[in-house]
Amino acid sequence: MNDFSELERELRKLRPAQPSPVLFERVGEALENCRASVSDAKWKRWRFTETPYNWVSLGFGLAAAAVLILFAAVTMERRHEHQQTVAQSSPASKAQPVPLGTERSISPSRFVPAGGSNVVYNARDEGLHFADGSERPVRRVRYHTQQTWRWRNPETGASLRVSYPSEEIVLIPVSGQ
Amino acid sequence: MEPIASHENWRNCFSEVAPGLLLFARQWVQSAADAEDIVQDAFVKFWRRNHDIANRGLLYAAVRSLALDFIRRDARRARREATVLAETEPVIEPHFELEDDTPSALAAAVESLPRDQREVLVLKIWNDLTFSEIAGALGISQNTAASRYRYALTNLKKTLQPQ
Repeated sequence: MNDFSELERELRKLRPAQPSPVLFERVGEALENCRASVSDAKWKRWRFTETPYNWVSLGFGLAAAAVLILFAAVTMERRHEHQQTVAQSSPASKAQPVPLGTERSISPSRFVPAGGSNVVYNARDEGLHFADGSERPVRRVRYHTQQTWRWRNPETGASLRVSYPSEEIVLIPVSGQ
Repeated sequence: MEPIASHENWRNCFSEVAPGLLLFARQWVQSAADAEDIVQDAFVKFWRRNHDIANRGLLYAAVRSLALDFIRRDARRARREATVLAETEPVIEPHFELEDDTPSALAAAVESLPRDQREVLVLKIWNDLTFSEIAGALGISQNTAASRYRYALTNLKKTLQPQ
């Protein structure tokens, strides 16, 4: 940066063009206008607070707010009572016997098996191995599968689906030729 | 430094910053009268909001923003006038006060700089802004401001070197 110090000095010697005197007058007027408009706004605000109309509108506003709060309180109380009723009904349902055996077959919540699938998404050949006590080698293959079982309720049409990953190891005897 | 809004006489404050502000505004508008309009609007807004002189980057940012608005608003008029001006000799008002009315080689070299370098140079040399303040005013990083300043000085040096 020291290389430029001489150049910077030369640049600082150049003086920017001065603003016209009219600009000062214009800025002064604009600032005066701002002050006048601010004080005018304050005066208007004061007048607004002093007028009887303001008290009337304030009274209306407060009354409307009070009615709204009262309405909200009543609504909340009713909702609370309703929730309490719902809560009381649950112990009664707890006392109901759980359907078992033959009763289950006539229950509307009966599910019957509707199918299943076993998707092999990976099979790995782990080579030849000797199983315990066996003299013949076996080939061990490891399968990774995704098993899915489905049940269906014929009465309601509802269905239940359970899906889980599984791993299966299959030993294939190797016969010599 | 004293807060700008605490100056009882705004004239003192404005007379300090006005020449630099005008020069900055002239980076976008050729006419001195348009530049004065922009500076007036920016300064009045800045003063009304009681901004602190510590945030003077905001004043320059306001000038830049108003100048860019002016260009956009005035583009249509400028296109119309361009056809008229093309037929006449262009009158470029000088950006600097020249001692003997002859265009200084240095002033001409400054005016020939790319705009992004020139605006950093103007803010640094004639407005005494720090790189941090320049970065805030122009919406660039401090490193970018510093490197543009170095490029500007390098270009000036090249231009002024005797062939």
